[in-house]
Amino acid sequence: MIKLPSVPMVLRQLLKKPATNFFPAKNLPPTITGFLESVAAGKATIHPPIPTPVKYRGKILYDRNTCIGCKMCIRVCPANAIEFIPETKRIRIWVTQCVFCSQCNDICPKDCLHMSSDFLLATEDRFNENLIVE
Amino acid sequence: MKLSPSFNRSLWVFHVNSGSCNGCDIEIVAALCPRYDPERFGIKLVGSPRHADVLLVTGPVTHQMRDRVKRVYEQMAAPKVVMCVGTCGQSGGVFYDSYNLDGPIDQVIPVDVYVPGCAPRPEAIIYGVVQAIAKLERLEKEVSS
Repeated sequence: MIKLPSVPMVLRQLLKKPATNFFPAKNLPPTITGFLESVAAGKATIHPPIPTPVKYRGKILYDRNTCIGCKMCIRVCPANAIEFIPETKRIRIWVTQCVFCSQCNDICPKDCLHMSSDFLLATEDRFNENLIVE
Repeated sequence: MKLSPSFNRSLWVFHVNSGSCNGCDIEIVAALCPRYDPERFGIKLVGSPRHADVLLVTGPVTHQMRDRVKRVYEQMAAPKVVMCVGTCGQSGGVFYDSYNLDGPIDQVIPVDVYVPGCAPRPEAIIYGVVQAIAKLERLEKEVSS
């Protein structure tokens, strides 16, 4: 009998798991709003996304207590995403304008800006307070 | 207006590049690959705006693309969603003071969902689609009640 090279391959494929990461859910639920409500109630769970790599540059974090208001981040920002507030001598970062280049983190003399691994930022309103860091 | 039940079951997407640097376009293609596989939700890229339910716009709208983006938007059938992918379309990003921009996308066509990121991860785009479906369901509820 002729040896079939595909048989071990087929057997291996049968045991393999799919490469797909079922990010929000495996299939489209009947209603998304109902699914999100049941997630909030703890009945269902959102399948976690693929873990971000180390040093991933996500949404910016700002520590306003260690900031000294030196405006170095504003000078170095290529997208004009950082605004200075003269009354409080602190900054405001517009995440919808940020290009996640991390140059402000490198230049900050007090090390008060950091990149988180938070990247699920989609909203219906671009002036959402989730997208303004101050 | 009553939406057909098949509308929320599978969203067909048309992609317009309005002057993007190609980073977001690559992430959209990466989101359609088997690693993320949005076709299990019925989401797929189509070649004509007349077939599409969702318009994906990437990039700041350049002066040349302004009329084209408007025309593509008007060619789509009535219940439609516009998703703006990437930082450029929301604020201009690094091109904020360019002489050639006709403003962010929401100054040209109405936008429903914004996906920030430069470029956003494929999961962030899929999360934006989830937000879009949730918005559609909310609008449908308001219309029917």
